[in-house]
Amino acid sequence: MDLIDSDIRQWDANEIKEQFGDSLMLLPSNNNIKELQTILRDNKINLNDFKFYADRLIRLVIEESLNKLPFTDCEVVTPTGALYKGLKYGSGNCGVSIVRSGEAMEQGLRDCCRSIRIGKILVESDNDTHEAHVVYAKFPEDIAKRQVLLMYPIMSTGNTVKQAVNVLRQHGVKEERIILSNLFCTPAAAQAVVDYVPKMKILTSELHPIAPNHFGQKYFGTD
Amino acid sequence: MSLKLNKFETPSSASSDSDTELALEPEQVFLDDEDYTRAPASPTTVPNVRTYRPPSTGSNIMKSPRTPRVRTASMSQSNKRTAAGSILHADRRTIYTAGRPPWYNCTGGQEVEPFLIGICGASASGKTTVAEKIVESLNIPWVTIVSMDSFYKVLTEKQHIASMHNEYNFDHPDAFDMDLLVGVLQRLREGKKVEVPIYNYVTHSRENRTKTMYGANVIIFEGILAFYNTEVLKLLDMKVFVDTDADIRLARRLRRDIVQRGRDLEGVLKQYMTYVKPSYQSYIAPCMAHADIIVPRGGENKVAISLIVQHVHKQLQLRGFKVREKLAVAHIGQPVPDSLYVLKDTPQVQGLHTFIRNKDTPRDEFIFYSKRLMRLVIEFALSLMPYSDHSVDTPQGIPYTGRKCDVEKICGVSILRAGETMEQAVCDVCKDIRIGKILIQTNQQTDEPELYYLRLPKDIKDYQVILMDATVATGAAAIMAIRVLLDHDVPETNISLVSLLMAEIGVHSIAYAFPQVKIVTSALDPEINEKFYVLPGIGNFGDRYFGTEPADDE
Repeated sequence: MDLIDSDIRQWDANEIKEQFGDSLMLLPSNNNIKELQTILRDNKINLNDFKFYADRLIRLVIEESLNKLPFTDCEVVTPTGALYKGLKYGSGNCGVSIVRSGEAMEQGLRDCCRSIRIGKILVESDNDTHEAHVVYAKFPEDIAKRQVLLMYPIMSTGNTVKQAVNVLRQHGVKEERIILSNLFCTPAAAQAVVDYVPKMKILTSELHPIAPNHFGQKYFGTD
Repeated sequence: MSLKLNKFETPSSASSDSDTELALEPEQVFLDDEDYTRAPASPTTVPNVRTYRPPSTGSNIMKSPRTPRVRTASMSQSNKRTAAGSILHADRRTIYTAGRPPWYNCTGGQEVEPFLIGICGASASGKTTVAEKIVESLNIPWVTIVSMDSFYKVLTEKQHIASMHNEYNFDHPDAFDMDLLVGVLQRLREGKKVEVPIYNYVTHSRENRTKTMYGANVIIFEGILAFYNTEVLKLLDMKVFVDTDADIRLARRLRRDIVQRGRDLEGVLKQYMTYVKPSYQSYIAPCMAHADIIVPRGGENKVAISLIVQHVHKQLQLRGFKVREKLAVAHIGQPVPDSLYVLKDTPQVQGLHTFIRNKDTPRDEFIFYSKRLMRLVIEFALSLMPYSDHSVDTPQGIPYTGRKCDVEKICGVSILRAGETMEQAVCDVCKDIRIGKILIQTNQQTDEPELYYLRLPKDIKDYQVILMDATVATGAAAIMAIRVLLDHDVPETNISLVSLLMAEIGVHSIAYAFPQVKIVTSALDPEINEKFYVLPGIGNFGDRYFGTEPADDE
């Protein structure tokens, strides 16, 4: 956790690669995305706006995560009779959300992939020791054969995600077939997760030492 | 009145795009409304729909469920038109009194000078009838009638009282505001937007409202002293004098003033003898010398009208009306302009394009995947707005410096019909956004885009405008839409044109015409076919999205 004090700065792709290797990727940032992040961190925002802007950012993160899924080249004929060289998405994917805040991202995934299967993991942290342990997990039966899009918006220590990955491993999912979709991540958590599961791909929209831990409470209105 | 308002016909001249809003509810098309500016209601504008019928007429409403409201010909004269009177039906045609043709060329300048016909003649000689007969026989899109009566000067209190006693000379050249008239005609001739005053015959003053008019292919200017002013004379391409027998004129005048306007015989005769007749002799009759053609008996003179029409057609042909062809050749392997922003070509974007370009994609998938793509394009377009640093306090107690969009007011404007499909995406990302609409249709005969309908937020000049069209081929429609926005005082830098797919040609044309407009798209296609569809393209996006493809497609 000693990274926290020193690292209030914008990370660029090279620095990330140097620090965390190839598995961590940042959502290509622009002003629009920065504005969304700013709004979500603002403590004056109301529930309605928070949910609205969170959903927008989630959608963008999900769209970008889907880019990491496999695809094949293909050719189609357009209505004008011309040939178009395009891409075909691979099948055999599924989503897994980490209850509760990960569920906020389910709709974003649904909006992109209408009939995707979605599994769930409930990880509870012990209030005293901060140790996380899995309480509940339900997946599609053949999850071992699938690419898994793991959804969890906020990572401050990475403990929860580590536990979730453990469960997936127990169900036969290879770590290189997991893509973690994340909105806000602290450098410490990134380091911890990368060290723990080096082959898992991680996509986040921002690396910042302060994680907006209020996300789940605020999104579901239980703050 | 020559324009009988009976038979109803689908007005569309678009690519199998029968616009039912126009077809069904002519009255509602241009209703005045607090929040919205009125569409460009140029008086009588006639798109040609005589021969063309949409291919998919089977399901189209060819018969109106309600009887069209009876309307007189729409003119700039305030007493003859109502706000809603923007469409009327003449014989077998629907006549739009609002709209304008694409007279802007690929540089955004004016493409074709309108042909200006002046019609002069004594009061009640049948000038209006002649003008309408010409409109009817011309059978070309977009004809505007300007009446000199709109340019009467505002009367003083004293003059107003005099006029009540029939002691004000409305037939004298001094009764007209010639400077304003010349200005308006000049601007119309340049194809620019003008504000024509609405003259109130009761108070003899101008109303606060004005009538917005645009130029047209043919502008008909009629009035008793149409040829009096030399400046006006210089502007007229063709001068027609309507010469009707004095007895007939007096008879008509008596009937009109007594029966229709409820005045008394004494007063009418007094005015006629003291003003109308002397004015005719001293000012109007000498104008006959300027005329190119004199039409005896007014509107009944079919031979004369057909001669006039033939001449106008010939002149228009000489001037040429091809915007699109010009646009299509304007592109010569230039590097893509700086104002073009293409969405990053990720696997998802390519995959989405594969779905929506595939001709075998069923409609539900087409809609689903195009919506996903639209969302990405709109988000991308928003990221191109101006932003600046912004600090907020966080619940964690540590301030956070982020970004905030400088633009408070964003408004979407969709180009009907395909552009409308993007409205949902823009509403999904911008809270409480205002949406304007522009209907531009491609004339099936000329392949030229035509503007039919316009609804924009009142203060649109204060907004950043996201102009949406699903595809851009030659860019003719987009250029026209941008032109319309500029006419409503939207700064060029405030406009972003957002599209799913653009052809290079179109991008070049738009960027050349409007270098400061941001052009945002998710893909750029190199070519365009002879039907102006993009290659490899998507096909007719609107048809595929709304399911109105011609049935005999395959």
